[in-house]
Amino acid sequence: MKFFLSDAILRAFQNMRGNLFPILTTIGIIGISMLIFSTFSLFAFNLTSILKIWEDKIEVIAYLKKGVPLGEVEGVLKKVRRVEGVEAVKYVSPYDALSFMEKKLGSQKNLLEGIQPGVLPSSFEIQLEKDYRNSLRIKEVVFHLKEFRQIEEVQYGQEWVETFSAIVHVFRLTQGIMGGLLLIGLMFIISNTLQLTISSRKEEIEIMHIVGASPASIQVPFYIEGLIQGLLGTGLAVLFLFFLYYKVLLYKVFFLYLTPVMKEWFAGIPVLFLPPKTVVIILLGGMVLGLFGSFVASMRFLRYSG
Amino acid sequence: MDHVFKIYPTQISALSDVSLEISSGDFTFIAGPSGSGKTTLLRVLFRAERPTSGEVTVNGMNISGRHFRKIHQLRRTMGFVFEDFKLLRDRTVEENIAFALRVTGHPRKEIQPRVSEILEWVGLREREKDSVLTLSAGEQQRVAIARALVHHPPLLLADEPTGNMDVQMAADVMKIFTALHRHGTTIVFATHDTELPKHYPYRVIHLANGRKVEK
Repeated sequence: MKFFLSDAILRAFQNMRGNLFPILTTIGIIGISMLIFSTFSLFAFNLTSILKIWEDKIEVIAYLKKGVPLGEVEGVLKKVRRVEGVEAVKYVSPYDALSFMEKKLGSQKNLLEGIQPGVLPSSFEIQLEKDYRNSLRIKEVVFHLKEFRQIEEVQYGQEWVETFSAIVHVFRLTQGIMGGLLLIGLMFIISNTLQLTISSRKEEIEIMHIVGASPASIQVPFYIEGLIQGLLGTGLAVLFLFFLYYKVLLYKVFFLYLTPVMKEWFAGIPVLFLPPKTVVIILLGGMVLGLFGSFVASMRFLRYSG
Repeated sequence: MDHVFKIYPTQISALSDVSLEISSGDFTFIAGPSGSGKTTLLRVLFRAERPTSGEVTVNGMNISGRHFRKIHQLRRTMGFVFEDFKLLRDRTVEENIAFALRVTGHPRKEIQPRVSEILEWVGLREREKDSVLTLSAGEQQRVAIARALVHHPPLLLADEPTGNMDVQMAADVMKIFTALHRHGTTIVFATHDTELPKHYPYRVIHLANGRKVEK
């Protein structure tokens, strides 16, 4: 006899209504598991955005030799713009450099009294393309820049860039490994929890086998239940995480527990919630985990044996 | 059933070289003491167990192969009644029977009339809204029979269906089985009570230690 999906959906809801306690327990356990995963994702996302802020600060400064005529500077500027890996170049005249230093010193700018702009070299502030903002590829750009006879010196904070690149590498590796391990753990937890729900209905399943319900009509409602429980559990986890973000992270309640230096450091860092696309991916992931859990559980309890 | 053996992994032999043929419309008792292989024989016919060797054909289907995948289709051609009823204890009489139709994909509008019809037939129409827990053992068995018959199977397997009952209850249940037989249903009835078959003019197959014995 034909098996209709609409009937399976209806039966999934009827089953859930008739087994509220195990279903709510499963949703709760999926919710807690997914909360751990979403919290991990939130921290990973914010750390990535912090790294991005730092990454954007990576730039190369090429100091020009003294006495390069202004007319020639324009030509060099054009050539530097064409160097592979260069995104944007800004010419900084000695006057600009002096006013920048004055701005930086603020109330202590009188320290610069008597310094003439001519003392300072003119320079190019060079923004790099994204792929070149790491310790290896930045060297390629620096190598090409050093070939210009008008350029005296090239600086890019070598140590800082190398440390930063190492941090990014370790972070991405850790994120991948931890995320993977967490996912495997979640699969086990969710599939075992769903097995509990299914085993609580062993009698019902036995009767389905006795009366000759088709394998699809036995399994599909459980898969649908797994999907729904995965979605509800993950939805609750994301809502709770948003609440946590809104009440704790956004208002930086944890500032109360930080030292003044740390407070200052954290104050400049925006705390972001997961972007909608990531939330949708997490919700879909929860549904897939629910489906996968039901599938694994079904292999133990729902198949015809003999 | 042709030269069927069933040996469990623990080397216990439950059926040894059993061959038998049951024709359509027959009422057959499988009689023997506990451990004689009655339940295993029914489970093999029901494809809850696969024979270790030998061939089993039920309702035209050879079900003995390892790769037989149509177990659900086979079971829709038969009903099974257990000694312990196997009812859903948290549901009503009507819900227990409707469940069997619902999970086998019967249209919703068909279910209620068929449930009422079968309950009328087993004499439990007035109890349809009652929880099965409020019924006597005989009544619970009648619900189980109704569930097994609601899809009109040509074959009914019964494993000690009167085992838990007093004489009067057992007689009431037997009335249902004999009526069913009169309507043309093939019945295979396992019992440890060697006296019971003597009251009926039906074929009796005796089992002892997993073997068919002549009496």
